[in-house]
Amino acid sequence: MKCDSCQEKATVFFTQVAEGKLKKFVLCETCAEAKGITDPDGMLMADEILAGGQPGEGNEHLSSLPAIDSLAKCLNCGFTLTDLQKVGRLGCPDCYRTFAGEIARRLPSMHKGQVHAGYMPAGLAQQQALKAQLSDLKADLESAISEEDFEKAAKLRDQLQELESSKEKGVSAS
Amino acid sequence: MMRFATLLKNPADWMTGHDEENSVVLTSRVRLARNIAQAPFPGWARKKERQKVRDSLQSELEALPEMKAGFSHELSDLDSLQKQVLVERHLISREQAARNEGSGSVVNRKQSLSLMINEEDHLRIQAIRPSLQLKEAYQLAHSIDQSLEKKLTFAVDPQLGYLTACPTNLGTGMRASAMLHLPGLVLSDQITQVLKGIGKLGLAVRGLYGEGTESLGNLYQISNQSTLGESEEVILDRLTRVISDVSRYETQARGKLLIEDPIMVKDHVGRAAGTLTHAHIISSKEALNDLSMLRLGADLQIMPASLVEVCDRLFMETQPAHLQWSAGQKLEPSARDIMRAQMIREHLQSSLPAAIDISGKEN
Repeated sequence: MKCDSCQEKATVFFTQVAEGKLKKFVLCETCAEAKGITDPDGMLMADEILAGGQPGEGNEHLSSLPAIDSLAKCLNCGFTLTDLQKVGRLGCPDCYRTFAGEIARRLPSMHKGQVHAGYMPAGLAQQQALKAQLSDLKADLESAISEEDFEKAAKLRDQLQELESSKEKGVSAS
Repeated sequence: MMRFATLLKNPADWMTGHDEENSVVLTSRVRLARNIAQAPFPGWARKKERQKVRDSLQSELEALPEMKAGFSHELSDLDSLQKQVLVERHLISREQAARNEGSGSVVNRKQSLSLMINEEDHLRIQAIRPSLQLKEAYQLAHSIDQSLEKKLTFAVDPQLGYLTACPTNLGTGMRASAMLHLPGLVLSDQITQVLKGIGKLGLAVRGLYGEGTESLGNLYQISNQSTLGESEEVILDRLTRVISDVSRYETQARGKLLIEDPIMVKDHVGRAAGTLTHAHIISSKEALNDLSMLRLGADLQIMPASLVEVCDRLFMETQPAHLQWSAGQKLEPSARDIMRAQMIREHLQSSLPAAIDISGKEN
C-alpha cells in the first residue's frame, strides 16, 4: 500500500471518526512525522492532513484571503490593486483616487509629510487662491447680513460678483 | 538638431568650470518628475498610448528656446552603445536605456538640461550644474517646468501635489543630488560614520560606481529621499547644508592626514601617478581608484592643480561605453583595458610629464 501523501510505502494506518463520518488514510513514516501524527498531542483532523496543511495552518487560510479592495479597478486605465501590490507603481494619475486608502497606508514610510507643501502649476495655484478668497467673502457676507450691516453686505456682494466673473473668465481661458 | 557625434565631441559644461576653492563637490543634479493628466503612466500604457504622449511632448520640448540647436532622438533610433554613453553622461537613466519605442531624449547644447520622455514618468526634467549649486540646478529645471505647464496639463492633486508613477516621487516630484569626492574620509576611516549620519537625516547616500557598500574612486552621491510634505526650498536647504558639512569634514580630514601622516598620503598619490602614467593595461576599477588619489594629490598641491579637471574628465571618458565610442567600435574588456591605459597616459602627458617618454605612441 502506498502513502496517500507521497507514494512511498505506507507504514502508518490512520482511522478517524469526525462529524459522524469514518475517514481512513495511510502514510509513510516520513510523512506521518511531518504531519505530526506519530505525536499523539499533535493529532490533527483528517481533512487538514489530507489537505496537505501543516499544523495550525488551517486558520491562517482565512486571513490570507484576498481583501475585497483587490477587486477594485481604476476606471480610467484598468489598473487593479493586485497590480499595485505586484509592481509598487500605479497605472495612471487617476489611480491615486481609486486606491486612495492603500496609498495613504504606504505614504508614512516613504515621506516626511502627507500633504504637498511645494510648488503647484501657476494656473492651479491661482484657482485655489481664488476659491479660498471666494469662500472667505461668502462667510463675511453671511456674518454682515446676520449682523444687519447692510452697507457692508452690499459692498461684499459686489466684490463677490466681481471675483466670480473673473473666475469664469479664467476657466473659459484655460 | 544636433547629431549624436556632435553632442559627444563636446564635454558637458558641468564637466569643466569647477569651483577652484572647493573641489569636493563635483556636480549638483535636480530632476522633476511630471506626468500628463489622465494618460496612463509609461510602465502601464500600451505602445500606442506611449507613442501618443511622446509625439505630443517631443515637439513641445524641441520648441523650448533653451533646447534650441540641441539633441533630440527617439531611443529606438539609437544603438545600445550610444544609449550606454548617454547613461554614463547622466543624460538618460539606466532604466530609460532599457526602454525603446515611445521613449525619447532631448538634451540642450551645453548638456546642462536633459529631458527624458517616457522614462518611469511621462517627463523628467533634469538639470546639472558643476560644484555645489543645487538651487541653481533647481531654478534651471523649474523654468522649463513653468514654460511647459502653459502648454501641457500636468497631473496634480491639491493634497498629493504632482502625481507620479511611483508614490515615492509624489509631491514635488523632485530628486536633488550631489556627487562628492571623499578620499580623505575614506583614508582616515571616518566614511562609515559620516554615511550613517547622513542616513539618519533621512537622506540617501550611495557609491557612484561599484556595488553594495563598495565605492570605486571614492565618489559618493547624496540625495533627498522624501518628496512629499516639504517645499522644494526646504528640501534643497537641508541637502545643501548637509553637503557643505560633509564637504567641510572631508577638507578637515585631508588637512589632518597631511599633518599626521604626510608620507602615507604622498605615497598613495605618488603610486597612483606612477601607475596611471606608466601602465599599459588598466581595469576600470584600478583607474577609478588611482584617478581618485591623483585628484586628491592635485587638491593638496602635491600634484599640479590643473589635474583636478583632467581627472574629472578621465572619470567620465574611461568608462566602457565612452571608450568604445571614441574607438569607433565595440571592444572586449581586455581591449578596453589597453585603450583606457593609453588614453590616460595621453591625457596626463601634458600636465604630468614623466622622466621617460610614456606616451607609447610610437608602438
